[in-house]
Amino acid sequence: MTIEHHPPDSMLAAYAGGSLDPGQHVAIATHLAACASCRRFARSMEQVGGAVLTAIEPSAMASDALSRIQGRLDEMTAGPASDLLVAAPAVPEGEIPGLPGFVRRFRFGPWQWVAPSVHVRRIVLPHESPTRVFLLRSGPGTEMLPHAHTGFELTCVLAGAFRQGDNRYAPGDFDLGDEHVDHRPIVDVERDCICLVAMQGELRLKGILGRIVQPFVHL
Amino acid sequence: MSLGREDPIAGSDWSKAIAAIAANGDRSAFAALFGHFAPRIKAYMLRAGASPSSAEELAQEALLMVWRKAALFDPASTSPAGWIFTIARNLRIDALRRERRAGIGESCDAEFEIDDSPPPDAQVAAVFSEARVRAALTGLSPEQMRVVELSFFEDRPHAEIANVLGIPLGTVKSRLRLAMGRLRTLLGDLS
Repeated sequence: MTIEHHPPDSMLAAYAGGSLDPGQHVAIATHLAACASCRRFARSMEQVGGAVLTAIEPSAMASDALSRIQGRLDEMTAGPASDLLVAAPAVPEGEIPGLPGFVRRFRFGPWQWVAPSVHVRRIVLPHESPTRVFLLRSGPGTEMLPHAHTGFELTCVLAGAFRQGDNRYAPGDFDLGDEHVDHRPIVDVERDCICLVAMQGELRLKGILGRIVQPFVHL
Repeated sequence: MSLGREDPIAGSDWSKAIAAIAANGDRSAFAALFGHFAPRIKAYMLRAGASPSSAEELAQEALLMVWRKAALFDPASTSPAGWIFTIARNLRIDALRRERRAGIGESCDAEFEIDDSPPPDAQVAAVFSEARVRAALTGLSPEQMRVVELSFFEDRPHAEIANVLGIPLGTVKSRLRLAMGRLRTLLGDLS
């Protein structure tokens, strides 16, 4: 699969530097799970982080800091790495392809009907975030209602594909939509399209059908 | 801060220290690692907006995580400072906006790592070498490096960076653009 649409470098750098909020972080990580080239860049920026850490003016720890942590190590009954707890995935790989392992371990809400052929599934982030994350599943050929955003929307395609203007978005592709873009995506006819979406702000559905459906749509 | 200078204790010693922790639970190797990295992680957290007591606690948590994950450190795919930075970074995202949760909260750090097996290609592996990154960073001017740090590591809005550095907003944006372009060229392209 050739991925054609990537997050901007500034967003990859912010991911690596730790300045994205948890919802944005999940969206970027989902793209990185599919995209080796962006992974390399993000990893490189993490090395820049290492250089920053090495050169930073240190801030002295409390005088008993080392003895306190040695005390905590004493309390650990097993050796390094053996006590790492990892929850079982809530969503197995076969069910939704392309989700990073850590996202699978979050709590997922049920699939909920939103509009004809459109369902969403809320992903419960373990940390407070101004950006909320959900899975979006649209049936083959669905033409999404024209809409705009009051905030931004990060979309990562997991399965299937959609077209928006001249662009096609397939598994691994990443789309950054903001309040300036008027979206009218159309799903390919071969199969359902499943995306991970991270959103801040609200959708504003347009047109007559949009205005009818708007009260029922709360993503 | 001078990013070009070599650390007095070379990176390979930290790899050995991490390996000693993984293999034997070596406490003196851990103490050395703690002495070097904890104050730097604390400084990073302070810059990211943590209170002094939070920053202290987060530095402790980060080193605890280093201890617990030592066996997972792969020198072929990252450097000690880069790996430890990533651990600190994950805790920052986790903790600075955190709702405390029992139990599973402790495994959150593992969750934010790029889920990636080490690349087999030696040329690709070279990308991750600290030496190469340092060389790339010398390609940035100090002014460019400063805006990169303030924007991507300290998460300051552009207007605030302009204020802090006493330069016009447009200059901040163009420096970032140039810096990212250079980094992308120096670090990102292996084709």
